[in-house]
Amino acid sequence: MSALMDAITAAFGARILETGDFRGDLTISVAPEAWLEVLTFCRDNEATKFDMLDCLLGDHLPERAAAPFALVAQLVSHTYGHRLRVKTALTEGQAVPSVTSLWPSANFDEREAWEMYGIGFTGHPNLIRLLTTEDFEGFPMRKDFPLEGTVGGRVRTDLRGKI
Amino acid sequence: MSADPHTDTHGAAVDTHGHDSHGHDAHGNGCAPAGPKRPTTEELIARKAATRQEIEPGADLMTISIGPQHPSTHGVYRIVLDLDGEIIVDGRPEVGNLHRGIEKLCENRTYHQIVPLTDRLDYIASFAMNHGFCEAAEKLMGLEVPDRGRYIRTIAHELARLSNHILWLGIHVMDLGTQTFFCICFRDREYILDLWEMLCGARLTHSFARIGGVAKDLPDGFEYRCRKVMEFLPKRVAEYERIVKNNRIYYKRAKGVGVFTAEDCYAWRVTGPPLRSAGIARDLRKDEPYAAYGEVDFDVAVEYNADVYDRFLVRMKEIRESCKIILQCLDQMPDGDFISKDAGHVLPRKSEVMRQSGAMIQDFNQVFRGPQAPKGEVYRAIEVPKGEMGVYIRSEGGGKPARVRFTTPSFYHGQALPALAKGEMIADMVAIFASIDVVLGDCDR
Repeated sequence: MSALMDAITAAFGARILETGDFRGDLTISVAPEAWLEVLTFCRDNEATKFDMLDCLLGDHLPERAAAPFALVAQLVSHTYGHRLRVKTALTEGQAVPSVTSLWPSANFDEREAWEMYGIGFTGHPNLIRLLTTEDFEGFPMRKDFPLEGTVGGRVRTDLRGKI
Repeated sequence: MSADPHTDTHGAAVDTHGHDSHGHDAHGNGCAPAGPKRPTTEELIARKAATRQEIEPGADLMTISIGPQHPSTHGVYRIVLDLDGEIIVDGRPEVGNLHRGIEKLCENRTYHQIVPLTDRLDYIASFAMNHGFCEAAEKLMGLEVPDRGRYIRTIAHELARLSNHILWLGIHVMDLGTQTFFCICFRDREYILDLWEMLCGARLTHSFARIGGVAKDLPDGFEYRCRKVMEFLPKRVAEYERIVKNNRIYYKRAKGVGVFTAEDCYAWRVTGPPLRSAGIARDLRKDEPYAAYGEVDFDVAVEYNADVYDRFLVRMKEIRESCKIILQCLDQMPDGDFISKDAGHVLPRKSEVMRQSGAMIQDFNQVFRGPQAPKGEVYRAIEVPKGEMGVYIRSEGGGKPARVRFTTPSFYHGQALPALAKGEMIADMVAIFASIDVVLGDCDR
């Protein structure tokens, strides 16, 4: 186990639900309650120093009935050059704290995860639809959403929302 | 147009390090070590404060919408700006006009069928997108690419970088007021596109990478023509620099504008040339080598002033380095297969499919069932012309991925524009937006 994983497991112990290493990608799973705390630690701790959020994405796993949604953050450190994937499992309609306060770049990522999967974020400055039109109904990246879509679109007219 | 930038005093921030100190520097190789004075982060922040205008609190703001149909937005990007006079107070980008649901489509296609979809992400450098996806899929499947395939990929990726940077330069300078230069850049990009036409028949959406290698071997005569182009392109870069680098109008519009320090870049996930112009030698080709980048000798282009002008310098250096890389790859080109022979994951050569029963079965399997990937998830990031592009794949096993996410640089660069442009004049927004190189196909996916 690398120094990186040692630092994280030492700090959180049993709150790291699962660790993985597939094809050299280090992965940890945490509970949604620990999401913000673990990511804050990852950014600020001297042994981890993840200064950039490479991406944050939602996922839908309908076969996992207890918690069918997932949120995945890919972190990268320019100091050490290492990468880490942090995952959490969510139920339908469950919200996690936004990480836009840690990395402003998470803004679009979280908006995308919200509009595509319906994953909520508390404390997000402007959680509105990003890639689809504002009157779009449903969450298109969910597995039960038909590939060919359901509705047409309309151009957004309200420009006053704060991003 | 033989202005000496030394006489220029754009804001309080004029510091000319070695590159732009003399009007006759255009013949230099462009990759000389930087001059004696490199600004620290504190100096950059001070400069940023000096060039940016004070915004009166409580001022009466005017809201205007730029785009989605505006020439300076390079596609269908829209930004709603709050202006105090001509100063940008805040901005709200709106993207999604080009959203095609590529990630949703990926979940319903086999891995081989996804490769042409990736062309439509960044259509200016489509091979780079093919390459990123194939690297990720190979990581998931544990495939090794043969040496010749790796070298051909490296050449193809650098051709994509060349065509991207030359096109970028033409459009960027056109945004700042010159039309003729755009045609000069298109003339030279044509040579790259001709090479592409030889390589795979297509000029824009190449689909040239395959899982396990590339689609075709180098055609006869390619090496000769490629060498010719790579030998004269650096001379053309010198010509670009004679036209642009010491042009007083360009210098005044670009120098000290849109300062974005390395910390800002990390916070907003701005990567690639904008990050390297802030003094960070971060390049995944060096830091996490893939294809044949570990076996060729090249320098990471770095500049230190973090403004629009230095992003231009970084890209000019990268064109020269790309030419170097391609020439080295041609010199060192190994013999052997250009695509892996792993029958479980790779499409067979078309010439064999109609003649050998084994290849025909393999073709049938690959086309209808797809390559059988193990269960698991991977993330692979590579350096594409615009920045760092990552591909996340989650597989449940079988021939189709369960989730694909393309982490594309333009998505984050487009998002960061208000942060870059805050406090600048509205006319500078055009220069800043062009300097971070956004393509909306890449942004909206």
